[in-house]
Amino acid sequence: MRILLVEDDELLGAGIRDALVRALCTVEWALDGGKALAALRAGEFDLVVLDLGLPVVDGMDVLRSLRAGGGTTPVLVLSARDTPPERVLGLDEGADDYMIKPFDVDELLARARALQRRQRGAAVNVIEHGRLRLDPASLSVTCEGRAVPLQRREFMLLHKLLQSAGQVLSRSQLEESVYGWGDGVESNSLDVHIHRLRRKLYPEVIRTVRGVGYVADPPP
Amino acid sequence: MRVMPPRATSIRALLLAGTGIVLLGVLGPAAWLSYSGSEEEAQELFDARLATSARVLEALVARQVERATITSPIVMALPAPLEGDGHDQPTPLGHYYETKIAFQVRDASGRLLVRSASAHEEPFAPLEPGFSTRPIAQWSWRVFSLRSDGVWVQVAERDDVRDEMSRKIAFAAAAPLLAGIPLLLILVSLLIRYGLGPLSGLVRQVAARQPGSVAPIELARTPAEIAPLVEALNGLLERVRRALERERRFTADAAHELRTPLAALKVHAQNAVRAGSASERDASLQRMLLGLERSVHLAEQMLAYSRAAALGEGARAEQVALRPLLAQAIDVVQPLADERRAAVHLAEDRDAEPIMVRGERQKLLSLATNLIDNAVRYSPQGGRVEVTLSRNGEGASLAVADEGPGIPAGLRERVFESYYRIPGCGGTGSGLGLAIVKETAQAHGARVEVQDGPGGRGTRVVVRFPPNDSTMPAETNLERP
Repeated sequence: MRILLVEDDELLGAGIRDALVRALCTVEWALDGGKALAALRAGEFDLVVLDLGLPVVDGMDVLRSLRAGGGTTPVLVLSARDTPPERVLGLDEGADDYMIKPFDVDELLARARALQRRQRGAAVNVIEHGRLRLDPASLSVTCEGRAVPLQRREFMLLHKLLQSAGQVLSRSQLEESVYGWGDGVESNSLDVHIHRLRRKLYPEVIRTVRGVGYVADPPP
Repeated sequence: MRVMPPRATSIRALLLAGTGIVLLGVLGPAAWLSYSGSEEEAQELFDARLATSARVLEALVARQVERATITSPIVMALPAPLEGDGHDQPTPLGHYYETKIAFQVRDASGRLLVRSASAHEEPFAPLEPGFSTRPIAQWSWRVFSLRSDGVWVQVAERDDVRDEMSRKIAFAAAAPLLAGIPLLLILVSLLIRYGLGPLSGLVRQVAARQPGSVAPIELARTPAEIAPLVEALNGLLERVRRALERERRFTADAAHELRTPLAALKVHAQNAVRAGSASERDASLQRMLLGLERSVHLAEQMLAYSRAAALGEGARAEQVALRPLLAQAIDVVQPLADERRAAVHLAEDRDAEPIMVRGERQKLLSLATNLIDNAVRYSPQGGRVEVTLSRNGEGASLAVADEGPGIPAGLRERVFESYYRIPGCGGTGSGLGLAIVKETAQAHGARVEVQDGPGGRGTRVVVRFPPNDSTMPAETNLERP
């Protein structure tokens, strides 16, 4: 899951980033509202975790700007503004969820998964794909009931492909979902991960579309 | 030591007693004068009537009986029912009071010719013309003797009858004056009650107040005399309202400001618990420690701010030498300065006499520490913080300059608001440092100003203390404006 974290407090931001990375998300972290808007313009995200009291551009304005531009990315507001009117305002301006600081990390992750699931139109987190079963909460994958140990980036790649099953994803889309900003991407590492996934699961799980990218075909 | 409440004096009782005394003092003598005047007039009138009846007797009777040969005196008898003491009701025959009026007619030699039944044989008084008062039998009588052409006419009236009547007349004249006193007192009492009505209203309003209700007092009618009291009370209520409002805001803000540091602590704690490796856990614990330090600093600053803003409670003003205080403050900030490789420099002392201000040592130290801490916090790596102390007329002037990013002109008031941090400054401060400086300065009657640093670079904060008057009592000096 590719997440844009917008938080001006360095210590808190670092903690949230660590927690998200451990949950196998790729995180881009913006320290002020201006940088957040720039990041939203530059790339696609599965979720925005947004603080409201931000320098340069206020969090509410970031949210309004995103929604005004037609952006449908789920937004989870994480704020110290705790009064009901403030929460109502946040939700009415287009936030999909609203959490008050201090918050529970597990709950934050669960809500992030829930938003993701809703975005996909599914009722449960677990993605069933033919013989495969992927659980984003426990970060586990089974193939015909057999647990398959996957590396971190392999899991992230598979998750992204299964989420958009039937849809051809470009190399850069896949790389974005696996590597955060600043992670070194070697030119052939994506191919390496695809190769390993095919070997650990079964070869037809991912189909190469020449010159475009990869797709996980929906099971028959 | 117990303070005895002063004896309560009642305005109403004072006014009532005063009015009563004044009324008695004026109306009492007036009534007495009226009484005695009326009595005297009545006696004179009675005398005149006595004389007139003597003259009528003389004219109608005496001259007739003088020529007649009278061997034994003629007695003018009264109808039987009127004799003796009895009722005092008039009857168709006359009035029994007639026994209290008597006359005698004598010839020149003194022989009795005619007398009333109520008179005895002896002359009422020695035969000399004019008025006299004589005791006859057991009564005192008023007698008028008239002599004409060899006839003596003596007319007498019992004094007690005269006195009774004159007293009644005098009493009738004086009584209304005395009867007016209680009536007047009742009216005055009602007037006082009405006049003091707003005061009672004020008492009821103040007594009904809850600790938190600080709306101004409003009376239906406010007389000029208690308007200053109501005004002063409302002034006090307004100050209390503002203080309460500040406290309320401070508490709410504090709870709000704690959310982010607490959130950071919780996230890192949970990360440490779920860490996959020892190095990950250590990294999370290190960050937790940073967060704890920051929370501790914030809590300390909150405490310092609430103390600085406390309404001069327990204020112990003393003469404080500023230079040693500044040196102490620099020592406190030194570790942070070392961390940031900033140099804090206290300008040389060129003054022979130490520069003193009157105030609370602990609060002044907090002011200096926060000023220098703030300057160091926003200094660039290796920057220089210049602290200068100078005489400013009769007062003292303290300035701290840094080489930091400076404060835009538009924000030079806002930086003194509690929890205000300049956006994007990236500082790790609590947002309370300059607020503490301002509150403390105000409590000491000092003014704070933000200027450009030396050469237009950085920030210079100047605190100007008022003239140090060592005779000024602490309360005056520490009172907030």
